[in-house]
Amino acid sequence: MSDKLKLPNVFIVLICCVFLIGCSDQPETIKITFIGPLTGGVSAGGLGGRNSADLAISLRNESPDSNYKYELVSLDDECKPNIGVQVATKAAADKNIVAGVTHYCSAVAMGTVDVYHKFGLPVIVWGAVLPDITYGNDHPEIHRVNGTMINQNMVAAEFMIEQGFSKWAVIHDTTDYGKGHFKYFEKALTERSGTILGTFGVNPDQQDFTAELTKIKALNPEVIYFGGLAPTGVRIRAQMDKLGMDQVFQGTSGIVSDAFIDGVGELAEGVLAFREGAPTEKLPGGKMFMQAYEARDFNEPAEAYGAFAFAATDLIIDVIEKVGPDRKLIREELNVIREHESIVGPITFDSHGQNTIALITKYVIQDGSWVLWEDSEYASGNRSLK
Amino acid sequence: MSQLKTQLVILIGISLSVIALYGFLYLEHEWEIGLLLVALPVVILLLKRANMLIYYQKAARLMPRFTLVSFVLGVLVLILLLRHEHFALLMLTTVLLYVTVSLGLTIQFGFAGLVNFAAIAFFGIGAYSMAVLNHYFHAVPDLLIILFSGLTSALLGALLILPILRTRGHYAALITIAFGILLRTFLEVNDVFGGPQGLKVDGLEILGWDFADSFPSVLGGGSFYMAYAIAALLLAAAAYLLTRLIEASWFGLNMDSVRLDEVASASFGINAPRWKITAFMAGNFFAGLAGAVYAAMSGFIAPASFNFADSLLLVSIVLLGGIGNAVAVIPAALLIVVLPEKFQVIQEYRLLLFGIVVILILRFRPSGLMPRGLRQYFTGNSA
Repeated sequence: MSDKLKLPNVFIVLICCVFLIGCSDQPETIKITFIGPLTGGVSAGGLGGRNSADLAISLRNESPDSNYKYELVSLDDECKPNIGVQVATKAAADKNIVAGVTHYCSAVAMGTVDVYHKFGLPVIVWGAVLPDITYGNDHPEIHRVNGTMINQNMVAAEFMIEQGFSKWAVIHDTTDYGKGHFKYFEKALTERSGTILGTFGVNPDQQDFTAELTKIKALNPEVIYFGGLAPTGVRIRAQMDKLGMDQVFQGTSGIVSDAFIDGVGELAEGVLAFREGAPTEKLPGGKMFMQAYEARDFNEPAEAYGAFAFAATDLIIDVIEKVGPDRKLIREELNVIREHESIVGPITFDSHGQNTIALITKYVIQDGSWVLWEDSEYASGNRSLK
Repeated sequence: MSQLKTQLVILIGISLSVIALYGFLYLEHEWEIGLLLVALPVVILLLKRANMLIYYQKAARLMPRFTLVSFVLGVLVLILLLRHEHFALLMLTTVLLYVTVSLGLTIQFGFAGLVNFAAIAFFGIGAYSMAVLNHYFHAVPDLLIILFSGLTSALLGALLILPILRTRGHYAALITIAFGILLRTFLEVNDVFGGPQGLKVDGLEILGWDFADSFPSVLGGGSFYMAYAIAALLLAAAAYLLTRLIEASWFGLNMDSVRLDEVASASFGINAPRWKITAFMAGNFFAGLAGAVYAAMSGFIAPASFNFADSLLLVSIVLLGGIGNAVAVIPAALLIVVLPEKFQVIQEYRLLLFGIVVILILRFRPSGLMPRGLRQYFTGNSA
């Protein structure tokens, strides 16, 4: 090999380089971004959401009434906050993207809300459940269609008061989950003039609840509210029976599992619990959504939050059809959304962008299984809670 | 070769790599990325055929300082060119921070032969120190806090010194893996540090100038990532200089000898544990510094960002580049950090294609992109 420079080759290199950087992009259809975990451990949820958002876009593109053509830009956040901030920046910095349907994982959403705010990109969260995503900031860009533990407890309090109860005793575990549920239930209940006679924080591993339950028995509440997971719930419900307590047992989403019924046995009858979302076929527009979804031959199922991704995308498109593809206008319009029809029921955003009438399903245990309240014999009046 | 000619060759080489960098960061569309993937190897092959690579290597070896300074200036120009491209700047900053961590790994791994599979844990310690210190000690200048975060990382790493000195090879690697997992769990169960939901971090503020603001309009304005990009560039350049100084000095010589044969070096009077400890602390210090800047830039950290998988990515940067070669971590970090991002267009298949590319590179460059050359005992052509 000689050490001489071969000039012709150098020229070819230079030409290649000029060619490489001489590329520009041209704006075309209106772009909406979808961000969720497309790879990694929870990718099933992310892919279901992506497909559902895609479905909303293509249904709209096929409709002759729509004013614009839409394009979905799907990005993978891997359910990791650092990658989430990266792709959020990518989407938010792209001026052709006017709005986003973003995040399945709470930790990722917590990290990216500031990015959306900085760039002024209006987004609707479709899956992440942590209350602080909407309530931990005052960013007008952030909205959410799915419910949180706040909504769950609001519905729970309202429902129980409607049933004629007024006095509660609370047992909650001292994790984030239990503490959070208690906090929001207490708030919702006092707003509706229910009374909490006593509150007991317990360790989730605690075995014996005799001390707490004896005190509660003396307080004589109508309902025992339990904020925690099934194993603790099983022990409390069983020990209530030993002390001869027949109060109504009201749980949170954490006990909605077969493990609870198996653990408590016969005593489970009449136990109530509440959970965010609903089985897709029970959603107002669930049937239509499932049919359209199956007609598209997606490789993956829609999963539990697919309908919410669909509803969020559809809402964004509705807003764009109304105000045009401008981030600021979209943001302002989203902030005043009230009673907007969607497949997950009407959507109303509060001052933090949280859907206040987010769908919460009420469950009751009847003959050894969790039954939707509306379908139960308790609702029809054949059985009563007390 | 005359001095002027050498400088010219270096400048051309640097400009070409900066142009390639620009293309790599800026291109977005599917076909552009595809073209780049095909064109880049071809360009490099042509450069090699034209003997330009050898020319450049020789020149860079003759004038290392000049090369470093012109590269830093080149990247500065790039940052200026990209000043309105938030995303490109964010990626560039991330690459530069990963380069800093990888330089730390190069000292540990390439020089002293200490395998560290917990690099992201030390990065995380730096990030969390930044978050906590910046929040509670607002009066302390942020530059000091960054320095202190690096020190915290090195000090916490010191906990591992005893077990690592007692073990060797795979066993030492296992200890670092365990430490990485331990740290993540610790952060998750500990409410003081935000628990699994993470922690917000205040941005950097140097001499009353908040980095989160957009760049001063006197200087042409620009993205708020620009300041972080420049900070990361300076950090990476300093880390590179330090790594090179360590390598060239008797520090590096001792570390090399400890890596190659611990018993033989001990019999020549080299204190092996001492050099292992030095390398380990220095590497973790780099990781901590980079972590601190990263935390301030991204404004939010959570334990999930500091996974074992990220440690593996950092180790693979060092391996892909060529173990022990400080320059090599730059192209390797660029590939490992930016390529998966460029593949976003193919969505769920992107990590698959990324894996294939990495395997292909190692198929054709089995000892990394730029394997470490033989130690030069004399520099300059006077020798």
